[in-house]
Amino acid sequence: MQPDLPPLGPVHGFVYGAGASARAPAALWLLAGNWLELRSPDGTVLARLPLSAAQIDPPLGRAPRRITLPDGALFETSDHSGITAITGQTRGALLHRYEAFGPRLIAVALACLGGAFLLWRYGLDILVAIAIWATPPAVVAQMDSATLQVLDFQLAEPTNLPAPDQARIRVIFANLQAALPKDTAARQSLTLLFRDVPGLGPNAFALPGGTVVMTDAFVQEFPEDDILAGVLGHEIGHVIDQHGLKRLYRSVGTAVLIAFLAGDVGPILEDIVLEGNLLLSLSHSRAQERLADDFGLRLTAAAGYDPRGLAQFFDRIAQDYGADEGADWLSTHPSSAQRLQEINRLIETLPAP
Amino acid sequence: MSDTFPLPSAAAPTGQPIEFTGNAREWFGIWIVNLLLSIVTIGIYSAWAKVRTKKYFYNNTRIEGRSFDYHATGGQIFKGRLIVIGAFIALQIISTLAPVLGLVLTLVLVLAFPWLILRAMMFNARMSSFSNVRFGFDGTAGQAFLLMLVYPIGVLLTLYTTFPILDRAFKRFSIQNARLGTARFAADFPLGAFYKAFFVALAWVVGVAIVSAALLGLSWGGMMGALMMADENPGMVLAYIGLLYVLFFAAFLPAAFIYQALTRNVVYNNTVLEGGHRLTSNVTAPALLWIALSNMVVVVCTLFLMLPWAQVRLARYMADHTGYVLGGSLDTFLAQAQSTGNSVGDAYADFEGMGAGLPI
Repeated sequence: MQPDLPPLGPVHGFVYGAGASARAPAALWLLAGNWLELRSPDGTVLARLPLSAAQIDPPLGRAPRRITLPDGALFETSDHSGITAITGQTRGALLHRYEAFGPRLIAVALACLGGAFLLWRYGLDILVAIAIWATPPAVVAQMDSATLQVLDFQLAEPTNLPAPDQARIRVIFANLQAALPKDTAARQSLTLLFRDVPGLGPNAFALPGGTVVMTDAFVQEFPEDDILAGVLGHEIGHVIDQHGLKRLYRSVGTAVLIAFLAGDVGPILEDIVLEGNLLLSLSHSRAQERLADDFGLRLTAAAGYDPRGLAQFFDRIAQDYGADEGADWLSTHPSSAQRLQEINRLIETLPAP
Repeated sequence: MSDTFPLPSAAAPTGQPIEFTGNAREWFGIWIVNLLLSIVTIGIYSAWAKVRTKKYFYNNTRIEGRSFDYHATGGQIFKGRLIVIGAFIALQIISTLAPVLGLVLTLVLVLAFPWLILRAMMFNARMSSFSNVRFGFDGTAGQAFLLMLVYPIGVLLTLYTTFPILDRAFKRFSIQNARLGTARFAADFPLGAFYKAFFVALAWVVGVAIVSAALLGLSWGGMMGALMMADENPGMVLAYIGLLYVLFFAAFLPAAFIYQALTRNVVYNNTVLEGGHRLTSNVTAPALLWIALSNMVVVVCTLFLMLPWAQVRLARYMADHTGYVLGGSLDTFLAQAQSTGNSVGDAYADFEGMGAGLPI
């Protein structure tokens, strides 16, 4: 038979009555057989219970340790080593050890910075890919028609383009579609629409479900087949790579992640965090434009058009609007001059026709 | 009224100051481990991190050696967030597939919004305790509906001139319905003090606007002209946009701090807890603004690594300038029998970035 160990204690603190703020000094002891005993300063036993019946709060910095008794009474002490000797390693002890201020935290801090970067660079892409995979195609198709409804209601008029022009551009669009890899073409439906949108000027844009919209002003200003092919190829690139959905999910995902990770950062800083997120999302948007340029060039060349059409387009845009373009890092698109440079570099890498 | 506008140099509030025992080194360790675990789990752990954060600041806030505590579990917060995210996704899908039904549901959500905030306030109160007694909140959905949806329309219609009335009503609602166990809080804030704060803040904005316009030789008319001729002279527009940013920092930011500091003092100095316990406050706008601005610079320059230091600094200032005057023993509070609630409202308030907690 094992001899009884000597009692462990006292650990001085306060006891609060069950559901009451009344408190009194008390001391905690650990008796043989893992029984806890709570005594008042005069030695009166206030409570006796098995250690396993006590709810021991995990340690948190130097904040007082708390032990809740089954009836709701609370024992609180600032004697950290004393209470640890009685309770042994409790839930949360490991966490507490890693939180201790010391050189190890430098590694933790570096891991945070690295982890945040990885999460932003790759983690979000994975989350976005999962979300896209889980999105029913019907929802994506509906996004297109809902956006078109709003566009038609607020900004757009029916097209005024002559029928031959429309037919000519539809042939270009069909040729580009035919140049897509077979499985891609089968997976993704593509529709070309014309609209007169005075507010948008010469413009073309793609919706997530595969609807490509071109404004009348664009066709009037850039009637050349090669330019039309280049720009339509670029928009098809947005559709095939699902840039619209990616951007949508990415912005929702970062907003939620930042809210969760940053927590309550305090006044002013809150705004800085949100603006920083906006700038990062702009850089992502610019990267998408470059990818679509790349895709569009290859597709245009594969369909038998001159890929230099896209270069001509940006050359003219840069001449007409270059002075008005703001700083690159503040924009959703790279500047025309920069895109022109990259397009010319890409064209050189394309196989000769 | 003399305590409404304390001098910026006022050192200590009336009565004993509240004690804040947290420190930056210790909180840094807890914060950075929280952050790493949250990143590694793609945000999932952040629910548990939130609990640990609240617990740290509550546990280290003491009155007469008795501390506050926070009792929600990470699991509760996590579940609430899942429900909110699920509801959000469902609403988006419904809005895309059946726009009319989506619109109806959005309208229902807007109407239910005050109720959700009320639930969040109840949850936060119930999960907070002082000296082993839980707080509680008994506001009704009707009051919340009036305060958060109906009265704000009136404030808009009166061009914000009635904003102090609404603000005072909301703060009364937050405090008069709060209780510590069975002990109720009483709040009677003079409306004049709220209007005073409002006008002092407004005077600051107008003053800065006049001074900056005079100094820079720029006027409203000039700005409108520049906007009209944006095509020919984009540089001018940029100059005005820059001026607006400066104006924002020089005018609206201090004004917001002025209003908040003055009204916080009014609220605290006129709040009494059953048993005759009073709270006091003497924060000042210049000090709060200085802390916020210098915190921002330090935090940004250290890639957010000094955020824990900044948070502790703010908490310490708040504690140092919040006092209490006891009306008797703190031993007499008793818990009220309470039902257990859910944390959906809590998570919703989280998303909206609103501090729906009690202003304790």
